[in-house]
Amino acid sequence: MFKLGLRSVLAHRLRFVLCTLAVTLGVAFAGGAMVFTDSLSTALKKNFAVSTAEVTVTPTSPIETGTDRPATFQIDLVDRIAAVPGVAAAVPQLLVSNVQILGPDGKLLENYGLTSFGAAWPRDPGAAPFKLVDGTAPWGGDQLALDESTASRAGYHVGDQVRIVTPARAVTATLTATTTPAQAGAAAGAPLVSFDGATAQLLLLGKPGWTSITVSLKPGSDANTVSKAIGDTIGDSVTVRTAKQVTTDGEHDLDNTFGGFGTVLLLFAGLALFVGGFLIVNTFAMVVAQRSRELAMLRAIGASRGQITGTVLAESVIIGFVGATLGLLVGIGVAAGIRFGYELLDLRIPTASLQVTPTTIIASYVIGIGVTVAAAAPAARRAGKLPPVAAMRDDVHVPERSLLVRLLIGAFMLLMAVLFFGIGVSTGGLPGAVLITLGTGTAVLAIVMLNPIISRYVVRALMYPFGRKAPVTLGRRNAERNPRRTSATASALMISVGLISGLLVIGASVKASIDKSMVDALGTAEILITNDGTPSFSTEVGDRTAKIPGVQAVQRVRQQSGEVGRANVQVTGVSDGTLAGPVTTTFDAGSAAALDAGQALIPRNLAKTLKLTVGKPFDLKTTSGTHRLTVGGIVAPNRQLNAVVVSLPTYATLGGSPSDNLLYVEVAKGNQVAQVRTGILDQLRKDYPTLQVRDQEAYAAVAREPVNGVLIAVGFLLAMAILIALLGIVNTLALGVVERTREIGLLRAIGMDRPQLSRMLRVESIAITLLGAFLGLAIGVAFATAVQSAMVDDGLAVRDIPVLQLVIAVVLAVVFGVLAAVWPSRRAARLDVLQAIASE
Amino acid sequence: MSVGDVAVRAAGVWKRYGGGLTQVDALAGVSADFGKGRFTAIMGPSGSGKSTLLHCLAGLDKPSDGKVFLGDVDLTTLPEKQLTHLRRDRIGFVFQAFNLVPTLSALENITLPLDLAGRKPDQDWMTTVVDTIGLMDRLRHKPSELSGGQQQRVACARALVSRPDVVFADEPTGNLDSRSSGDVLDFLHRSVREFNQTVVMVTHDPTAASYADRVLFLADGQLQSELVDPTAETVLDAMKQLETQQDTADELAG
Repeated sequence: MFKLGLRSVLAHRLRFVLCTLAVTLGVAFAGGAMVFTDSLSTALKKNFAVSTAEVTVTPTSPIETGTDRPATFQIDLVDRIAAVPGVAAAVPQLLVSNVQILGPDGKLLENYGLTSFGAAWPRDPGAAPFKLVDGTAPWGGDQLALDESTASRAGYHVGDQVRIVTPARAVTATLTATTTPAQAGAAAGAPLVSFDGATAQLLLLGKPGWTSITVSLKPGSDANTVSKAIGDTIGDSVTVRTAKQVTTDGEHDLDNTFGGFGTVLLLFAGLALFVGGFLIVNTFAMVVAQRSRELAMLRAIGASRGQITGTVLAESVIIGFVGATLGLLVGIGVAAGIRFGYELLDLRIPTASLQVTPTTIIASYVIGIGVTVAAAAPAARRAGKLPPVAAMRDDVHVPERSLLVRLLIGAFMLLMAVLFFGIGVSTGGLPGAVLITLGTGTAVLAIVMLNPIISRYVVRALMYPFGRKAPVTLGRRNAERNPRRTSATASALMISVGLISGLLVIGASVKASIDKSMVDALGTAEILITNDGTPSFSTEVGDRTAKIPGVQAVQRVRQQSGEVGRANVQVTGVSDGTLAGPVTTTFDAGSAAALDAGQALIPRNLAKTLKLTVGKPFDLKTTSGTHRLTVGGIVAPNRQLNAVVVSLPTYATLGGSPSDNLLYVEVAKGNQVAQVRTGILDQLRKDYPTLQVRDQEAYAAVAREPVNGVLIAVGFLLAMAILIALLGIVNTLALGVVERTREIGLLRAIGMDRPQLSRMLRVESIAITLLGAFLGLAIGVAFATAVQSAMVDDGLAVRDIPVLQLVIAVVLAVVFGVLAAVWPSRRAARLDVLQAIASE
Repeated sequence: MSVGDVAVRAAGVWKRYGGGLTQVDALAGVSADFGKGRFTAIMGPSGSGKSTLLHCLAGLDKPSDGKVFLGDVDLTTLPEKQLTHLRRDRIGFVFQAFNLVPTLSALENITLPLDLAGRKPDQDWMTTVVDTIGLMDRLRHKPSELSGGQQQRVACARALVSRPDVVFADEPTGNLDSRSSGDVLDFLHRSVREFNQTVVMVTHDPTAASYADRVLFLADGQLQSELVDPTAETVLDAMKQLETQQDTADELAG
């Protein structure tokens, strides 16, 4: 039976190629994702394993912190740890990711997504995270060292003047040394600036402190015993980890980081395979229909049902195997390409050879073959049910399950979907959005079930504008004649178009909501100053801005992260006049005056979740510990103040560092905003090249920017799904041409010319495309609209349906439909009339 | 027969397949006139080239040599597009089977050549044709809902609806029982008698041939004889004679 399957594959190369292509694309996504993440994490893990201090001590932070604002400790801790039995030496380290390096041209150096770190020059070279390559250790505020890779990328040499910007201030210093990482970890491969210890503390932290202690052991001491001893001596305020634990934790972090990226790729792999599945389902349904007489003949001469099902499945196994093999190769190629790209940029990302693990290979084949066989299974089952007597009949109909069952299941699912939508919208918030997403998934399945029943009417309505000329009528009827096939083909497109249109509507709504909330939140703050690269900048910026002509007042905003209950919150310190005009605030309860009393303002959402009212105390955790605060006011949703808001003095007591994240500049009456902005830039740009001085409009545009990035990235991946859906249409049309060879011959004989024949196929293609696009559009817009309704209070206040973009999407779908018909109609036009008429 | 009375003319038509030693002449210099308003049958044993001749006459196939005229148009030099439009506008076809487009109703099938040409049917003529095939009540049905005989009658109506210069029928009764055959042949006969149409029919059935005004006998790609005002008996005799001749020829050759 396998031999028959193989023969069938070889005899019908066209459908074989298209099916295989669909499987290949899906597996390439999945395989590529696995190879890439495996390779990168193996490379990084290898570096982790080779060099870490025997024991590392870090201060325990009450909340999760980033490397840009790590918890710190004072130097006395070092002596206490050095005194612990078994410790040979304890060396303090300072490593913070909040430095920006400028190139010789005075512009921010491009880091290709890598974080740049600032560090203290090690007191003990043996325990240092990096070592000297060239020059002498930096000493004092006007000397620094750079890692070798960054220095050569920027074109700096020992002795050059290098400019850097830290949250404390901008510095120009002499490059005295280049370094290379001695030890992997967070800073491996990343740009690194180092200073002597005191300078590092001043520039990076703005206060005395260190971020970790590396401990070396006396000969004969055991790492586990010593680390336990340190823990017992110092207590809960520090976290003590052995080299092994650091490695494990680091690997875990890496897995999480790359795991996220891998998950996104796998999701798209799933989408590609799901969409490709429709193509395969269709192809096998057609294969069985075309071969029904041959299969029935096999039954008549003694093949069992199982054997018939087996030949069809064998064909699917072959296609799945070839598709998975090609997909795996393409995936490895893509992963290699990404790695090669990194090497071209000379980023010194630790590289290992491409990791093609047995898991990846097995998973690729399981996915490829599994999806193909699953998609071919219904057709194979139907083939098994063919009665042997069908071999003698003239017209054979492959038995199909009744549409009534479909109608019932579909209608039930549609009802469920409507329920999900209803509950989702009324629940609101993120849970509501999740329910709506579930509902959308159900609706998609419901429509896939119902499509064969409704497609006829939808196609008729959609194709009405195309008129009733003979080729149009014929093309439309061809699209209607096999509803299952048409709707399976259209369903693949529906899913892609649905995702894209949902994305467009949500994207537009997010942007419109940002604009509106920005306009609502910003009052007299005409100019906003922020910093590129690292979020905080020197307080000197504010001081100097206040003195610039035309500036009425400058308000400062400082930010750090914290936790209330189990909720992550932003903690914002604002200077006195901030809420008096620059930021427009509406209070549900309390007032801004509470800030002076050391009380906190909290957003409505938080008050609701934690059931807090004015006057009630709550605990706020920050890097410096747990602080008790009193609610002084509850603020209505506000884009600029979606945080626990306190006064600057209170902010300082919460452990916040004295550098600003944002300045609100009020322009004095009679001055042009643009002029004042230019004034600020002229004064400050020279010393702080990374400062961004924007008016309200430009500030809003920046907030919108990430949305565009996400839209483009996701749109690109979805385009792949559309490509597969289009392959499905080409497949359906081409197989249709083969199936209807005789009919085409007849039409040509009685006078249909080639342009008319092409037109007939084009119309069929457009009918399928429009069906898919229309249903996708309906589902996508319904989904996005419902999500927006549910999340009105959660950042999606405005609904914006980008009609023009949606129309363009549908027009593009039709254009693609026309393109999909090109090749099948060329095939059809080439058919010899006499042979076509004579064909079986 | 004067030139004005000729609907289709074959002049020294050759059709060769293959080349060298394996070359086969399906048609070896056939010349014949098919008069306007006449019902001509072409007969011959299988492999005699009768279907090939029909295809060449109808512009579906190009002769290797010789010329075919429809009226005064030389089909052998006509480019593909004009040939297609000529088939659509001036020629009607009835094939042995699979004559109708399954997605179209009987009526839509009948008007298909006109629809393809973008022309409106002549209502009186439509009514006449449809009346004659006697399927007034089944016009909205799809081909799959019609019997074989009914399908062939619809095909005949389609062939006639554009008032073509000539209707070519390729074994139109080959798949039908005798009663249905009678209906179809009656219809073709009447279309010639009453509506002055021209029909050229290939058949191997002497009864079918007896409906024609004239029968041409073909063997080995050449015209052997012809019979005017045939009956089933005279056709059968002529066929027998043809076979005997051929057997003798084969023996002489062997």
